[in-house]
Amino acid sequence: MSACNDFAVELKGVTFKRGERSIFNDVDIAIPRGKVTAIMGPSGCGKTTLLRLIAAQLMPSRGEVWVAGNNLPSLSRSELFDMRKQMGVLFQSGALFTDLDVFENVAFPLRVHTKLPDEMIRDIVLMKLEAVGLRGAIELMPDELSGGMKRRVALARAIALDPQILMYDEPFAGQDPIAMGVLVRLIRLLNDALGITSIVVSHDLAETASIADYIYVVGDAQVLGQGTPAELMESNNPRIRQFMTGAADGPVPFHFPAPAYADDLLRGTDA
Amino acid sequence: MSEARIERGAEGELRMIGVLDYSSGPALREAGRALIADSRSALMLDCSAIERSSSVGLSLLLAFMRDAKAAGVELRVTALPDDMEKIAKVSGLLDILPLEASRV
Repeated sequence: MSACNDFAVELKGVTFKRGERSIFNDVDIAIPRGKVTAIMGPSGCGKTTLLRLIAAQLMPSRGEVWVAGNNLPSLSRSELFDMRKQMGVLFQSGALFTDLDVFENVAFPLRVHTKLPDEMIRDIVLMKLEAVGLRGAIELMPDELSGGMKRRVALARAIALDPQILMYDEPFAGQDPIAMGVLVRLIRLLNDALGITSIVVSHDLAETASIADYIYVVGDAQVLGQGTPAELMESNNPRIRQFMTGAADGPVPFHFPAPAYADDLLRGTDA
Repeated sequence: MSEARIERGAEGELRMIGVLDYSSGPALREAGRALIADSRSALMLDCSAIERSSSVGLSLLLAFMRDAKAAGVELRVTALPDDMEKIAKVSGLLDILPLEASRV
């Protein structure tokens, strides 16, 4: 069993490598149960990889990933299949099936994972679409939906099996302000009303800070800092400050490493 | 954890018992259908012995409401557990379910 039941997810000493490159190096992260926890950091810092480790789509090179009292690397394939039913994921792209209408997209996990009769599948699909405000869109195809509506349908699908843990991969990316507001409200509502543990991976600072109870800032294969949004805003750590204030230059330099500019220019093309 | 079931209680009473989830749902659906089809008078569905429920429990209530309507009998629901009430609230079902104020 996990050491502490206040946490829905715990990463202990997790190292994950792609080839020789460490995406994470001996990282510890604890996600409190029933709260909204954000994983923030610059693009390319491995946030999505982290979600995939928690969702058991990737296994760590070293370390433990505890979810609901189970260490994922020690589970069998069938146990992992059962674990995944307890986790909903809202993918960055929405990832709706383009040849299925809204109803069938939300019904899909119910048809795959349960033996419920059609009548009950219909009830649950209508309930989930009502929760995201799109029951009226039931017969539409994905290409008839706006970007924000697609995310909401994907959210209805992610909660179809009543997951204990709901993960959001860049939920706000590319959304207009109204759609962002709707998503912020929905994430908070689902978390609070259903007691779900929510994990939001994002680089959208304002929206994420507005809903997160707790934030981890990751970068350089490590946890750079953690705390409530207010605590991180007050942080004296220059790397955290740069991220939280959105400064272009700082410990993470604006310039990718390069030879001296003058040398580069004045050398001409004789190299 | 007791096995999920629905049974006849006192006069005009049905009781749902146990864990209502994706595995227990289909059998409960059929058992409830049979019990309601046999009923001649108003029914009270007691939910106080439900240990835990997912959205499946709410779907069962809706299915039993449809059965009762088809059979021409009144169905009321009492002692809805907290977890079911939360899902009902998020899904906009609190005004649709025939909830009886808890009998003390």
